[in-house]
Amino acid sequence: MMSRREFSTEQLAEVRRLQDLYPHRQGALLPVLHMAQETFGHISLETEAYVASLFDMAPSHVHEVVTFYTLYFPEQPGRHILSVCHNLSCHLAGAQGILAHLKSRLGIDAGETTADGKVTLLAVECLCACEAAPMMQVDDRYELNLTPAKVDAIVEGLA
Amino acid sequence: MPKVTIDGKEIEVAPGTNLIEAARQLGIDIPHYCYHPSLSIAGQCRLCMVDIEKAPRPTIACNTQAADGMVVHTQTDRVKETRRSVMEFHLINHPLDCPVCDQAGECWLQIYYMKHGLYEPRMKDEKVHKPKAVPLGPHVILDAERCILCSRCVRFCDEVTRTGELGIFNRGDHSEIGLFPGMDLENKYSGNVVDICPVGALTDRDFRFQVRVWYLDTAKSICPGCARGCNIEVHVNRRRPHHAEGRRVARLKPRFNAAVNKWWMCDAGRYGFTFVDDADRLTTPSRREGDATIPISWEEAIAAVKAALTGPADGIGVLASPRMSNEDLFVLRRILDTLGLRQVAFRVPPAAAGDQDNLLIRADKNPNTRGAELIGLDGDASAILAAARAGKLTALLVFHHDLLDSGWPAVEVREALGRVGTVIFAGTNASATSLASHYVLPSAAWVEREGTFTNFEGRVQRFRTAVEPLGESRADWEWLGQLLVALGQAPAGERAERWFRALTAAVPAFAGLSYQSIGDEGQPT
Amino acid sequence: MSESAPHVEPLLMRNFARADSHTLGAYHETGGYTALDKARAMEPAAITEEVKKSNLRGLGGAGFPTGMKWSFIPKGHTGPVYLVVNADEGEPGTFKDRYLLERDPHALIEGMIITARAIRCEKAFIYIRGEYVEPWRRFTAAVREAYDAGYLGRGFDIVMHRGAGAYICGEETGLISSLEGKKGWPKVKPPFPAIKGAFGAPTIVNNVETLCHLPHIINRGAEWFAKLGTATQGGTRMYSVSGRIKRPGVYEESCAITLRQLIERAGGVSGNGVLKGVVPGGSSAPILTAQEIDVTMDVDGLRKAGTMAGSAGVIVFDETVSIPEALMVVARFYAHESCGQCTPCRETTGWIYKMSHRIVEGHGSKDDLDTILDLSKRGAGTTICAFFDGAVGPYISYIEKFRSEFEALIPK
Repeated sequence: MMSRREFSTEQLAEVRRLQDLYPHRQGALLPVLHMAQETFGHISLETEAYVASLFDMAPSHVHEVVTFYTLYFPEQPGRHILSVCHNLSCHLAGAQGILAHLKSRLGIDAGETTADGKVTLLAVECLCACEAAPMMQVDDRYELNLTPAKVDAIVEGLA
Repeated sequence: MPKVTIDGKEIEVAPGTNLIEAARQLGIDIPHYCYHPSLSIAGQCRLCMVDIEKAPRPTIACNTQAADGMVVHTQTDRVKETRRSVMEFHLINHPLDCPVCDQAGECWLQIYYMKHGLYEPRMKDEKVHKPKAVPLGPHVILDAERCILCSRCVRFCDEVTRTGELGIFNRGDHSEIGLFPGMDLENKYSGNVVDICPVGALTDRDFRFQVRVWYLDTAKSICPGCARGCNIEVHVNRRRPHHAEGRRVARLKPRFNAAVNKWWMCDAGRYGFTFVDDADRLTTPSRREGDATIPISWEEAIAAVKAALTGPADGIGVLASPRMSNEDLFVLRRILDTLGLRQVAFRVPPAAAGDQDNLLIRADKNPNTRGAELIGLDGDASAILAAARAGKLTALLVFHHDLLDSGWPAVEVREALGRVGTVIFAGTNASATSLASHYVLPSAAWVEREGTFTNFEGRVQRFRTAVEPLGESRADWEWLGQLLVALGQAPAGERAERWFRALTAAVPAFAGLSYQSIGDEGQPT
Repeated sequence: MSESAPHVEPLLMRNFARADSHTLGAYHETGGYTALDKARAMEPAAITEEVKKSNLRGLGGAGFPTGMKWSFIPKGHTGPVYLVVNADEGEPGTFKDRYLLERDPHALIEGMIITARAIRCEKAFIYIRGEYVEPWRRFTAAVREAYDAGYLGRGFDIVMHRGAGAYICGEETGLISSLEGKKGWPKVKPPFPAIKGAFGAPTIVNNVETLCHLPHIINRGAEWFAKLGTATQGGTRMYSVSGRIKRPGVYEESCAITLRQLIERAGGVSGNGVLKGVVPGGSSAPILTAQEIDVTMDVDGLRKAGTMAGSAGVIVFDETVSIPEALMVVARFYAHESCGQCTPCRETTGWIYKMSHRIVEGHGSKDDLDTILDLSKRGAGTTICAFFDGAVGPYISYIEKFRSEFEALIPK
């Protein structure tokens, strides 16, 4: 996954299909950046320039998009991303404690990745699961009603 | 056409006119940062708010088109309070760099703060820090902390040069102007972003720390870099000669002309003025004796030219220059007609083909080719070169061209110059050609005299004197005029304007023009 | 003594108990896609009229009358018209759209098809926030079912578009910018989206929940729907209740319910059991004190009470909640989510967060509170979009209504 720099032929066909869905093909930029992140693991400057070329766009305007949104990673994140919500309802339910517990357990601060490249810890804004606060997003899934014990089990279960 | 009332004054404007422009037509200034007439509407700075009757809140003027019957107030208490608030918002994270910032004195944060702000500052927290002194290319340097994120520079690169180098990255108060990492601001108009940046975020590397702007005098002029004739201002430093390394001309700025260059000029023209104050400027008439250069008086120089040009016409060649003004060329024409000289030309091929684009840049890197054509100085320059090589010329008068750095093979030019009886060079700077000439006459540079150029579209445009001629240099029309006096063909002491008037009488293309009618915007032939 | 809240028959949440509620089969079983037949027999203008009469208001945050918004599309426009579904739920305290996408995606699809007929739209985009992976999967599966069953693909297509993490993409023109492949910068208005929106074409942006009501309106009539609510807002809505509440979750109620009744319905105050205040409409809504909860939870009722219905995200504070801490948390949110395009919001949200943080840390100064209030009042109404107006909701109301709590933290 790391060494590939360009999309495969099938993926390029998918890029074109996505571009055709939008009245102006630039509309497909966010979906294609998601594809790039899934394929290459993160979105490096080289990838930005590559994606820009697929859209005939100035690379600066792709860089604008990548630096604006929080789900695009300019550097390779850990194999697992733990996004702990620290917004209002989660704060009232003890998000600070959950974050502190994770920081100490993983030995990193929010915004950092463990040295073995396994886990990236993030403090994020409202994930809209306030009824199950405190909570976090682990990769693609929401983990709700967290307690330190539950957090420990989740971390232990990460491959 | 919609009629609007602004601050009690009514005006009829073209449909689609926004309120900033409508107010401007009434002489009312609505303060603004992000709006620029050449660029798309951004609506980001929020400074141009005005009160419009029937609107519940102040509205931005840049994005409001004048509608018939609209009543606008720009000086209500509410508008003034809004402006004061917006000034405070802009200065929350702005660094107190004024003492070291080139923009001081022409900074729109300073100007608008004094006019619309004047509040007690209360920001005591740490300001957001961003990169400072970041070169963006050969000409422009960025200070991201000073940037007010008006996005003019980004829109300029997207919409005018269509090169898209700049973007605004991140979000919130960490937003930052920048280049795509690893790229340069490489387009040929990069200097314009410095003009349109209202603050000291984008400044000229060339001008950095040279001289404070309040020491500068300005003169309206025309860029001599190519046949477009972009309208410019020349900014000179007379009052602090120990600043700017002693350079008198500090910088050039474009001047708006809807018919020629709009708001812009190219980098080659903008930064191409340094020859004016270079050490190799010719400042004294001189004569070569062997390897020695002997300074002589202008009387002696003009007498030498007169002597050289008096003789059989076949033996005299004149290479005029399309860098000379209409006035220079006209006086030369009069001399040639008086003396019956017909071997004259001005098209010396350049060393390299000039670049040209769809914006402003013309391949012809001379400001007055059209003038030289209209004044009748076109001829066969190669024939003159051939005649010189064949030893047929007793005199060759060369204006400005460095023949040894042209499209002609240098070895042929050396041969030619070696075989001419008297080579006379008139120009601003020393060159290989001037060193090979018998007489060298120092010309005043274009900023050191007034006159007119005719651009490639036949538009005649005035340039005005910005500084005094360096040393003993003289405008070509001036010393050529003195030669004409010596030939008994003109009264003494004629000024450029009188030569222009004589030109309009003699050359039909210029008929009816005058310095007054040309004004600051030029006039077509 | 407060009355008990009127009991309403659930419309949006009627199938939530079923484990297969998201499937086409379940939707058919419970009468799904019958409104579509009715709508197809109606003229587009008639559908819009019905929606106007129903008093359906936008349920994403602005509360604008839905039928009226549809009618802003220029008459006689011949080019494309786009429907854009705002599934970029992000207002703190709100989670109703997540439930709808996961548990009743076909209701949304049916609502979209009805809307498309009313506004003469052939292509709709649905913008789902990037973090909502399971809702994305459920909705994608439902769209595929709908195509297979022939509800989609015959003159109307849905394009799925995934967001990438930015609250401001919930603002309708910020969403449009993001859909166009740019940063989520809201657009300067005018022009308004119904005139010139996505890709330069007339565009209607509607919230997920708003559209889910349409099948019910078409099936049972505008008059019936209007009567379910208040005089100016029809129907039910899903309240997201969280914070110090015994039974956090989504509650579908008539929008005539009072806040007091809603809190009761959700089990009452947890924590120390004594109510301190309630944020009634997502974090951007000014806070109400414990004395102010006898207010109807409809758009106009809450506006009259000096706050807003917003996204109906109800966050309950008991007495042990520190308001200065709550302010710091929301100030951090607004500073993080400010898109940065216009000066008042970009610069002020960052500075106000710094001040609120200093206050909580015990390093506040006497002037800070008045500075925050003054900056808020000066900035409100001066920005490109309503994000900043949302931010000043808590900035102003928390300090004005709980000032003594802040002053207690400021060193003498």
